[in-house]
Amino acid sequence: MNGAPRALDGTDPSTTILDWLRAQGLTGAKEGCAEGECGACSIMVARPTEGSGTQWTAINACLVPVAALDGQEVVTSEGLGRPDALHPVQREMAVRGGSQCGYCTPGFICSMAAEYYREGRCAPTAATPDPSQNGHEPAATANDPGNAPDHEHGPNGFDLHALSGNLCRCTGYRPIRDAAYALGAPADDDPYAARLAAAPPAARATRLDGATGTYARPGDLTEALSLLADHPDAVLVAGATDWGVEVNIRGARTPFAIGIDRLPELRTLSVGDDSVEIGAALSLSEVERGLAGRVPLLDKMFPQFASRLIRNGATIGGNLGTGSPIGDTPPALLALEALVVLASADGEREVPLADYFTGYRQTVKREGELIRAVRIPLPLSEVTAFHKIAKRRFDDISSVAVGFALDLREGVVTKARIGLGGVAATPIRALATEAALEGRAWSADVVREAAAVMRAEGTPMDDHRASAAYRTATLGTALLKLHAETATQQEVGA
Amino acid sequence: MTIAPERTTTTAPPTEVPAGAPGPAIGRAVDRVDGLAKATGTARFSAEYPIPGLTHAVLVHAPIARGRITALDTTVAEAHPGVVLVLTHHNAPRLTPPPARMNPMDLSTMAAGSTIPFLNTDEVHVDGQPVAAVVAETLEAAQYAASLVRVEYLEVTPTGDFDAELGNSTPVRSMPVMPPTGGKRGDARAAYGRSPVQVDLAFSTPQHNHNALEPHATTAEWDGDRLTVYEGCQNIDWTQKYLAKRFGISAGDVHVVAKFVGGAFGGKSKVWAATLIACMAAKVAQRPVRLALTREGVYRTVGGRTPTRQRVAIGASASGHMEALIHEVTSRKGRVGGEADQVVACSLDLYDAATILAEQRIVELDLMPNTAMRAPGEAQGSFAVESAVDELAVVLGLDPVDLRLRNQPGERSPVHGTRYSHRRLAQTLERGRDLFGWADRPAPGTRDGKDLVGWGVAAAIHPSWEFIANVQLTVDATGGVTLACAFHEMGMGTATVVGQMVADCLDVPLERVTAVYGDSDLPMGPGAGGSGQTASLAASIERACRAMRKRLDSLSDRVGMPDGSDPGEVLSRAGEGSLTVEVGADSGPRATWGQVRFLSKMVLDSRRWMKAATGAHFCEVRVDADTGELRVTRWTSVFDVGRVVNPKTTHSQLRGGIVMGLGLAMGEETLIDTRSARIMNPSLAEYHVPVHADVPHLDIHTLDDPDPQMPLGILGAGEVGIVGVGAAVANAVRHATGRRVTDLPLTLDRIVG
Ligand SMILES: Cc1cc2nc3c(=O)[nH]c(=O)nc-3n(C[C@@H](O)[C@@H](O)[C@H](O)COP(=O)(O)OP(=O)(O)OC[C@H]3O[C@@H](n4cnc5c(N)ncnc54)[C@H](O)[C@@H]3O)c2cc1C
Ligand code: FES
Ligand code: FES
Repeated sequence: MNGAPRALDGTDPSTTILDWLRAQGLTGAKEGCAEGECGACSIMVARPTEGSGTQWTAINACLVPVAALDGQEVVTSEGLGRPDALHPVQREMAVRGGSQCGYCTPGFICSMAAEYYREGRCAPTAATPDPSQNGHEPAATANDPGNAPDHEHGPNGFDLHALSGNLCRCTGYRPIRDAAYALGAPADDDPYAARLAAAPPAARATRLDGATGTYARPGDLTEALSLLADHPDAVLVAGATDWGVEVNIRGARTPFAIGIDRLPELRTLSVGDDSVEIGAALSLSEVERGLAGRVPLLDKMFPQFASRLIRNGATIGGNLGTGSPIGDTPPALLALEALVVLASADGEREVPLADYFTGYRQTVKREGELIRAVRIPLPLSEVTAFHKIAKRRFDDISSVAVGFALDLREGVVTKARIGLGGVAATPIRALATEAALEGRAWSADVVREAAAVMRAEGTPMDDHRASAAYRTATLGTALLKLHAETATQQEVGA
Repeated sequence: MTIAPERTTTTAPPTEVPAGAPGPAIGRAVDRVDGLAKATGTARFSAEYPIPGLTHAVLVHAPIARGRITALDTTVAEAHPGVVLVLTHHNAPRLTPPPARMNPMDLSTMAAGSTIPFLNTDEVHVDGQPVAAVVAETLEAAQYAASLVRVEYLEVTPTGDFDAELGNSTPVRSMPVMPPTGGKRGDARAAYGRSPVQVDLAFSTPQHNHNALEPHATTAEWDGDRLTVYEGCQNIDWTQKYLAKRFGISAGDVHVVAKFVGGAFGGKSKVWAATLIACMAAKVAQRPVRLALTREGVYRTVGGRTPTRQRVAIGASASGHMEALIHEVTSRKGRVGGEADQVVACSLDLYDAATILAEQRIVELDLMPNTAMRAPGEAQGSFAVESAVDELAVVLGLDPVDLRLRNQPGERSPVHGTRYSHRRLAQTLERGRDLFGWADRPAPGTRDGKDLVGWGVAAAIHPSWEFIANVQLTVDATGGVTLACAFHEMGMGTATVVGQMVADCLDVPLERVTAVYGDSDLPMGPGAGGSGQTASLAASIERACRAMRKRLDSLSDRVGMPDGSDPGEVLSRAGEGSLTVEVGADSGPRATWGQVRFLSKMVLDSRRWMKAATGAHFCEVRVDADTGELRVTRWTSVFDVGRVVNPKTTHSQLRGGIVMGLGLAMGEETLIDTRSARIMNPSLAEYHVPVHADVPHLDIHTLDDPDPQMPLGILGAGEVGIVGVGAAVANAVRHATGRRVTDLPLTLDRIVG
């Protein structure tokens, strides 16, 4: 904690980092919502990079059990600087008027500081394509902004998405952005910058028992699976972005929680000849960085998934683990024909994602099983898109989400895979629409016909996010939109 | 030397840093004095005071909106490790009921958030009403034990459907000195019938909730019969006096500390359930108690902005002169409290229609009483009026800016006949038009790629208020100047601005001035509401500084120094440690006299002058032609807020107001299940406040033209920013799509239809 160890003794396992910090008198991090929406609780943790170094990563302290931090390195706004020894981020926020009531400020400071230290933020080489990508155009992902200032990046390479999980009700955001864009490169003697070269502390096995239950972090997958076999009702906790909401908002208490977020076997990312395998416990931000544009469809999905702050915690396995019909990865992964790798004490099996969901929040995952990885077969289709319609443009749960992956040969659709979210009790494939497209010309007429088919996919419902009629209408237009996009792409390309 | 407000009527040059400021400090973009503390996480909000022996309280909310508790079992909760006590209507101390009516001599009689006798009754009046509070050694234990309290209810069907009850509404009568809720000029109905061009539209706006980022939190501690309350409120005076009344102690025995307030926007003016319950719990537990509401707890126990149903009918001549303006409104309050927002107020002063009729009605429901939220009434009313005016422009084929300019009143307010202290609305429209490049407005329905592009405009007006501010000004021999007053700093920059005003009024360098605030031990401050705090403080600061100068000058005469000498030097030369001047008194006959004088001035003033901040918004929107997704891509606003004491904090206030207006336009909506009278989206996940990506570059300008009738020329900037924003966006959507959306928020399904 801010450079000094603090004991977790006597802490209940369902205590969040935020409540624990504040009970310790470290009141910089604040509670604005307790469900990952506002970022007032943002703190920085030392997390591994793809190499051997550290990446300062901002996460929502309100969502994560403090036990998950055992042995980890954490920094809060108080640790970054003091009124008489300000951190550069704090100085910019203060002089640019980034703080009005100030309640959101420490959270913004941590999210901003994490981006301040992002490797390559200021480096002129960031925009150069990675030669290992074999001709794949490096997509301009949020993590790969280069130096060109645009409406989402500052002249200093600052990626505004880094602040997308922080709400401010007072300032109207402008002074905060001014502060972010005014940041230079960290000084040579900056201790947090110096820290980046060395690895973060390794996660260690731990166990915390308390009045309402137990939190156990196993050392490896074998141990995790045997714990799971012994405690069939145990709850797996990965990034805890769902766990935290359950505990804080719905008052859930987990008698036995198994922390799997640091399990090395669940944190690998490998690109083979015939598939890409993504470890289930990698956060979406880590997947985004690790893939570096190799799966363009996922790159289109990431920026639309919650906020960077949430993506820094939320894992891909957790998004499938909930079985939610409105998760954003399933429509994309369905279009990619992904497989789920399930592990149990008895071994592993692979299930196509299309067969994984069986009903509302129900899956084929058996007792004693966990998701070890997600596998995406190669080669990928050339034309991909991800459309998400939500009430708010960013940082909101989908009303409807659509993932597209099409192969076109000489103007004919040779293969179509379409994943849908929010239109049925589970994420589904738009099989009828796929059939209406395959083998036919990618022409306005065919697309219009197929769009009519697509309108009838699923069984959308009315709720306060959107009406069934609106969902249906959206489905109908999604394909038209895609066609229009590819037409412009071709024009641009020509 | 003292600085009198400049009585100039010229428009200041269009610079962001204003010219013609009265001194070196006023008008400067000074950094916020508390910025460093806030940025380092060391600023202490009300739930962050370390207090020995502190306990934590968590509320148990009723899941029904109307009925009676039939059984209450707290034994399991009480047995949970760490639980100190469970407070219910069985063991809570009996409180004196809230004052039955408002007393103009004691405005804290308006402080009751609701009339529910919390934990003093087995009756349930609104959904989420606290029926128990669990006090425990740790927050975690209190949270868990709260889930163990078993309550059974006999449920009565609540009345929760606003639209179904519209027929049962009753008229709202305007009260003197209060914001107007009606007005009449000529026979508008007849004139409307005769008008050659008519526009008649019905509008609806939903409930909004303030969602200050800091949820309400109270820490209460008793020492015998003395109560200390740490609470981030926006009216220390009300909180102090109201708690004293309810607990039957003298106001002097209640100490309220509210140093930093994490946003408020009206939601922390009144005293709500949790404040009372924290104080009750602390009394019974004989321990300090902290009750920090969850976000949901705020929705359930603190009122929001009333929804409205509105009709605006405008009759005009073919040349675009308004013959009739009719604005009819129904709003909502709770059966257990709340009042009418001044929804029609803006219709009384935006346009010089030949006839005007503004009327409000109100419906009572079994819902949480409404309360003021940033520009209460003007925010909703301006959406309707400014949309209807835009539609009139469309029907007439006139430019909407020209139409507005054509109908500006002259010297006097059309309905009340009071004289405008100064009126710059036309200038804000004209300047905004130039700055935005309005001349290049695209044709309606212009398409750019997949987007339809539209430009919209709307005007804004918000009246200016003044309240009593007692201040104490001290100068010491080292030259230090301290202004003490229990005013409120919720982020507006008041502490910073007060320093600037004192520096110039006393003619001392800004660095010498310190403001102490946010504590009821200090002289009584003005409530932070109605955008009136800064102007109210300015009046008293001017008086205090004048008096101080007089005393300093007589001292300097005595020691043979010229008038206007440095205060510190005068005092040292005279061998005085310090000098103190007080303006106003908190209690005793001087306080009563002060109030009488203030009230009579206010009544007199309100008969003579109409003082208001005004402005004009210009915006561009892009609407995805397929999905109806709406983005605001460009924004320019020009405001007349009188004198700009600090451009940095003023612009930030205005920007914050506009952004809250963008929320109102595009996403904010508290959804109420009409059958259960229950809020369905009590969270930031489901109530959509604007995020960074929703906000375009906001280009904000102020005329910086002091108002001759306001202290230091200040009109107030906290609320005018939100007024008209909803209409500006809706008008741009109309221009882009041809569709007039009359229901807020402008969600994609409404735009696509
Ligand atoms: C503010 C906010 C915004 C959000 N926005 C979006 C959004 O836009 N789109 C979207 O799709 N989702 C969104 N979510 C939900 C999303 O964050 C989660 O679904 C996330 O992906 C879950 O991952 P986690 O690691 O945090 O899961 P956890 O909370 O740790 O676990 C979630 C569930 O999955 C199970 N689980 C976790 N890992 C595994 C595994 N390896 N094998 C089997 N079961 C497992 C757990 O037992 C638990 O039941 C949002 C959440 C929040 C709080
Ligand atoms: S408290 Fe709001 S995100 Fe954590
Ligand atoms: S400054 Fe108040 S919420 Fe950001």
